[in-house]
Amino acid sequence: MWYRRLLNVFRRDHLSADVARELDFHIAERADELVAHGMSPEAAAREARRRFGHTGSIREATQDADLFTWLDAAWRDTRYAARSLAASRGFTIVAITSLALGIGANTAIFSLIDAVMLRDLPVRAPQELVVIDEVGGQDGAGDYTNPIWEQVRDGEHPFAGVLAYGDLSVNLADAGEVRPANGLWVSGGFFEMLGVRAERGRLLSPADDARGCPATAVLSYAFWQSTLGADPGVIGRTIAFSGHPVEVIGIADPRFQGLEAGRAPAFYVPLCAQPVVEPSSGFLDKRSYWFLRILGRLPAQLSLASANAELQAKSATWFRNTLPADWGAENQTEYLTRRLEAQQSLGALSGARQSYSGALMILMSIVALVLLVACANVANLMLVRAEGRQRELAVRVALGAGRMRVARQLLTEGLLLALVGAAIGIGLAYQGSHALLHFLSSAREPVSLDLSIDLRVLLFTAATAVLTALLFGMAPAWRAFRVDPHDALTAHGRGAGHGRSRFGFGKILVSAQVALSLVLVTGAALLLGSFRAVADVDKGFDDRNVLVAETNFRWDDATPEARHEIEREALARLRAIPGVSAAAASFRTPLERKGWNGFAKVPGVTLPRGDDALSWINLVGDGYFATMGMRLVAGRDYSAADRLGGPDVVIINEVAAARFFASRNPVGATIQMEDGPQTTRSYEVVGVVSNASYRSLRENPLAQLFLPLAQQPDYAGTVSFELKASGSAAALRPIVTRALAEISPRATIQFRELEQQVAETLRTDRLLATLSVFFGALALLLAMIGLYGTMAYSIARRRAEIGIRLALGAAPERVSREVLREVAVMLGLGLLFGLAGVLATTRLVEGFLFGVTPREPSLLIGSAIVLGVATLAAGYLPARRAAAMDPMEALRQD
Amino acid sequence: MKRARNDILQGTLDLLVLKCLAAQGSMHGYALTAHIQRVSAEQLRVEEGSLYPALHRMEQAGWVKAEWGSTEKNRQARFYGILAAGKRQLAEEEASWARLRDGVQRVLRYA
Repeated sequence: MWYRRLLNVFRRDHLSADVARELDFHIAERADELVAHGMSPEAAAREARRRFGHTGSIREATQDADLFTWLDAAWRDTRYAARSLAASRGFTIVAITSLALGIGANTAIFSLIDAVMLRDLPVRAPQELVVIDEVGGQDGAGDYTNPIWEQVRDGEHPFAGVLAYGDLSVNLADAGEVRPANGLWVSGGFFEMLGVRAERGRLLSPADDARGCPATAVLSYAFWQSTLGADPGVIGRTIAFSGHPVEVIGIADPRFQGLEAGRAPAFYVPLCAQPVVEPSSGFLDKRSYWFLRILGRLPAQLSLASANAELQAKSATWFRNTLPADWGAENQTEYLTRRLEAQQSLGALSGARQSYSGALMILMSIVALVLLVACANVANLMLVRAEGRQRELAVRVALGAGRMRVARQLLTEGLLLALVGAAIGIGLAYQGSHALLHFLSSAREPVSLDLSIDLRVLLFTAATAVLTALLFGMAPAWRAFRVDPHDALTAHGRGAGHGRSRFGFGKILVSAQVALSLVLVTGAALLLGSFRAVADVDKGFDDRNVLVAETNFRWDDATPEARHEIEREALARLRAIPGVSAAAASFRTPLERKGWNGFAKVPGVTLPRGDDALSWINLVGDGYFATMGMRLVAGRDYSAADRLGGPDVVIINEVAAARFFASRNPVGATIQMEDGPQTTRSYEVVGVVSNASYRSLRENPLAQLFLPLAQQPDYAGTVSFELKASGSAAALRPIVTRALAEISPRATIQFRELEQQVAETLRTDRLLATLSVFFGALALLLAMIGLYGTMAYSIARRRAEIGIRLALGAAPERVSREVLREVAVMLGLGLLFGLAGVLATTRLVEGFLFGVTPREPSLLIGSAIVLGVATLAAGYLPARRAAAMDPMEALRQD
Repeated sequence: MKRARNDILQGTLDLLVLKCLAAQGSMHGYALTAHIQRVSAEQLRVEEGSLYPALHRMEQAGWVKAEWGSTEKNRQARFYGILAAGKRQLAEEEASWARLRDGVQRVLRYA
C-alpha cells in the first residue's frame, strides 16, 4: 500500500484529476437535487457550486490528506525507530560504528580510485582522445623525440588534431636552496585541441610554438593562487625559471589539472622555448632525446582501426626521416621497424595510475571485505535484537498492526542506522582519503588529486548504505513474519525446544564473519611480513645521518677543469664543517628512482645472455664508499690523482666482478664501454666494492660500475654531495647552504636525507601493511562482537532450559563446555571457508609480496590461531555466565 | 491542512462517516452528506470542505477503501466502504463519544 502513496507524491497531476472528478460528481448530484426542487438548471448549477465552496481549496485539502498521512506515518516511524534505537544504546553504538567504519573506509578508498582511475579528464570530448604508442621496435616506452613529434605534427596524420607534452622541472629560487616546480613542455596546439579555456590572459596557440619563439608560459590556476598569491598583475610579467626569464601570458582554467592523474603541472611552456629555458638539453633537434608523449583526437567518423592503418603506413616515413645518424647499424635497423599506433586507453598515461592502482585495488578489496563483515555484524545484531523483541512484535501484530507495517517499522530502523552510519562514514572518508593521499605523496614526488567528494562517490556511499539497510533490515522483518503471534506470546520467550534451529541464520553469519576475518588477518600478516622483509633488506650502504645536497653550480660555459676545481673546493669546505665526519661527491645517490646504465664488455669474455652485460653506472669522487658505509673488497679507492688526463679507471661491485671475471681477480683487468657513437673506451679496474641497492630494495643487487667523477670531461646539471653527520643530518643544512654560497653565489641546492629517501621507496608497502593490519584487527573485533552477541543472546533465551538442567544436577562445566562447543563449531566452519577464501584471494596480493610466500603453512596456522583465540575468548564470557547461573533464579523468572 | 468551517463538532466527522458506512454499506460522498442530513433530521450538515479530505485521510489510514463505480443515474462516483480497521476505529470512537457525551451531560447537570 505505502508504495502507492510514495507514487502519489510523484503523480500529483493524476491524483488531482481523480479528486476533481469526484468533486464534480458531488456538484452534479447537488444540482440535480436543486432542479428537482424547481430551480432552473443554470441557477441550480450556480447554486450547487456556491454551496460546495471553493473547489480548488477543497481539492488541495483532499490531496494534502493523501500526502500528509503518508508523511505523517513516515515521521512517526522514524521517531519510533529513533526512540527504540536510543533505548538500546549499546546495540546502536556498535551497529553505527561498524557501519561508519565500513562505509567510511570504502568511500575513502573509492574516492582515491575514482580520482586516480575513473574520472574523466576535464577536457572537451575526452573519449575521442587517443594515446599514440610505439609498436614494432624493442620497447614501446611511449616517449618520443622532438624530431619525431615534428614529423607527426607536420605529416599527414589521420587525426582531427595532435598534441605533445613532456615533463619540465624548474627551480624558482634565484640561489641557495632549490624551490622546485614541475610543469610541462607543450606543443602550441595543446590547449586548443583539449578545449581548455583561459581563466585570465590567453593560452598558448600554435603560433606561439615556432622555432626561435620568446619564452612564454601559461600558469596553472593552483600555482597562480599558491605561489603567486593570485596576483592579477602577473600577466605580462616575467618570472624566472631556473634563472631564465619567462613571460607569463595567461592562467588556465582551474578545473584543468593536466592529463595525468596525481600530477598536476604548475605551468606550461611551449616546446620552442627550449633554447631559452633549458639551454643545456638542446632537445629540439636531438634524435635520441626521448621525453614527449603524443595524443591525437580521433575524428568522429573514423574508427580506431582505420586510423591505425593509416598511421602504420605514414609512420614508416616519419621514422625514416628521423633516423639517429650516430646509432650503430643494428640499432638503426631496429629503429626503422618501429611504427606508431593509437590506443584508446588514456589510463596508460597516468603515472599515479600505474604506481598506485595495484595498491588501491588491494585496499579496495580489503575494505570491501570489512564492509561485508560490518554488514554481517549489524545483521547479526539486528537479528539478535529482533529475537529479543519477538514478544513486542507479536503483541503489536496481535493488536492489529499489519505485518507490512511491522516490517516497515524494522526497515525504518535499518535505514536510520544505515543513514547515520553513512553520514559519519562520509566524514571519516573525507579525513581518511586525505590522510591516504598524504601517505602516498612525498616531497620529491608530490601527488595531487582532486578529492572533493563528487556525485559518484556520494552515489556509491548511498547505494552501499541502502543495500546494507535492506540486507539487515529485511532479515529480521522476514523472520518476524514467520513468527506465529500465539506461539510467541505463549512460549514466554523460553524457547526451550525450538530455540536452536531458529538461530541457524545467526550462526551462519558468525561463521561468515570468522571466514572473512581469516582472509583479512592472513592478508594483513602477509603484507606486514612483506613490508618487514623489504625494510630489513641489507641495503649495502648506511643511510643513517647522511645529508644529500644536490647542487647545481649553474656553470654555463665553465671548462671541465674549472668545474672540477670548484667541486674540489666545495668538498674541501664541506669536509671542514664541524659535525661532518665524512663527505664525498657523486652523480647519483642510491634509491633515487632514477637510473643510468650501459653495456660493459670485457675482452675475451662472452656472457651467456646479452642482457647480462647491462651495468648500472654512477660517477663518484674519492671517499664516496667510506661516506656511504660501503666496503672496499679489493684494490683501492679513488684519489685526487684520478683526474682528467690521467689513465681511465673504474671501480666495480662484487656482482659485476663475479659476472665478468668469475673467480679471476678483476683488479688490473680492463673493462670497455660504449662512449658515444661507435667508439668504446677502456677502463682499468682498480677496485672492487661491496654490493648495494641501486634502484629498489626489492631487486637483487645489480652489476654496478663506479666511474671517477673527476674524470668526466662533460656532464650537465647537478652534483650531489653526501655528508655523513656525527649528529643530526638536518641540522647541517644552513651551514652547508652558506658554505656552498661562498664557493659559488649562484649555486642552487636541494637537500634530502638519505634515510628519508630510502623510506620513501617503501611507502606503498608501509601503507598496505599499516592499513591491512588496521582493517584486519577491525574485522576481528567485529567478528568477536558478533559472536559474543549471538552466544549471549542464545544463552539468555535458553535460561530456563539451562536452569532446569543445573537444578537436576548437571555439572556447570558441562554447560559451559556445551556452549564452547557451539562456538567451536562456528569457528571451525568459519576457518574452513576462510581457508578456501585465503587460497582463492592471495593471488591478488602476490605481486606485492617480497620475502614471504602466500601459502606458507606457518602463516595460515598462525592466523587461524589468532582467530581461534579471539573467538574462544569472545565465547568464553557467555559460557561462564551460563555455568554460573543460579538455577532457582533462572526458573523463577517468567 | 486548511481547516474548514464545521457545523459538526470537531472529531466527530470520522465517527459519523464510519457509522454510516458500517450501517449502510458502500456509499459515495454525496450520499453520505445526504444521509447524515436526513438521519439527523436536518440537525447536522456535513461540510464538503471537511468531508473529502477526511475520506481520503481515512482511506490512507486503511479504515475505508474506495473504488469507482456508477450510480443509479449512471454517473461515475467514488464509493467508500468500511474495512476491518475502520470497524475497530468506529468501536473506539463510539466509546469515546459516549464518554464525552456522559462527561458533558454531567457537567451540564451538576455544575
